[in-house]
Amino acid sequence: MEKKSAIRLSLGIWVAFFALTGLLLGGCATMAPEKPKIMIPTDRGTVFFLDKYEFKAPVGWSLMRNLEGGDFELGFMKMEPGAFPSQTTFMYDEEPYGSSPNLEGRANQYCTRFLFNSGIMPEVTKREKTRVMGLHALALYFEGENSVQKEKSKSKVYLVKKGNRIISFVCTQWRPLDGQFDIQAFEIFENFVQSFKFLKKTFYENLDEEIQKLKG
Amino acid sequence: MDSHNRDLYLYEALNARVLGVSMDDVITNKFFAKAFWLDFPLVSNPLAWMGKQYGAYSDKKPFLPDGSVNNFGRRTVVVDKRGIVRYIKDGSPDNKEILSLLLKLEKEFRGK
Repeated sequence: MEKKSAIRLSLGIWVAFFALTGLLLGGCATMAPEKPKIMIPTDRGTVFFLDKYEFKAPVGWSLMRNLEGGDFELGFMKMEPGAFPSQTTFMYDEEPYGSSPNLEGRANQYCTRFLFNSGIMPEVTKREKTRVMGLHALALYFEGENSVQKEKSKSKVYLVKKGNRIISFVCTQWRPLDGQFDIQAFEIFENFVQSFKFLKKTFYENLDEEIQKLKG
Repeated sequence: MDSHNRDLYLYEALNARVLGVSMDDVITNKFFAKAFWLDFPLVSNPLAWMGKQYGAYSDKKPFLPDGSVNNFGRRTVVVDKRGIVRYIKDGSPDNKEILSLLLKLEKEFRGK
């Protein structure tokens, strides 16, 4: 009898412990701040990305974000049918490689480092003046292959003159040497670029204004 | 380095000057500057006294036990007009952070 009551007491303590833990955890869950949604859909078929950009997001593609600063601001990736490396990535990069403030000069610098670490030496197959978001831009088309790794790539890059800065949109498709490129992915990239809008001034635009105020 | 070069017009507008320091010799720095189209000066400091002064060079032997060279660590230092160190950061430079600080320093200097 004494043993049974000891077990009952012990069980009671455990039940009380779990109930208390549950209550505490429940309290924590309700108290934790809700994470803001990264992409909020609009009724125009676009999304707001944080409070910074609006664009048509590709359906079924994975969102890529740079967590440590550096190479790009945001992008999307899709793994495609076929042997490795069958995939396409595209991104918005507010700091494309190089430092020339004019489009032609920047394009020359950019081409020397594009896909630099991949072992592919992409060649510019076409270079044309265009407009993106109503701004002067340069479209660069690249193709290249790495016969050792048995892979090839096809890219389209927009360098866009925005105020004093140059920003870029980059799409690269990877395939094994005997694979076929998929033009549809580049159309999705075009939709992304052509729908892209800035919802607020960039850091550099704000800084320019602050400097003008200081000098004024 | 190219990011500093990209922001050079902003550094100049904020009355700041950029200086790169490395342990490489002058000829190597010259080629480096050319390869990256750098428009700001690079200082060659093979005896590492600047690296020691600014804490970018660890006080160890020139060659580390694993055979690698005891080189400068990557460090960004902002020195104000009075010669006071106002900012130190190791690793890749955060240009936005640096520019924000320079704006603050310039406002401070102008009394705004």
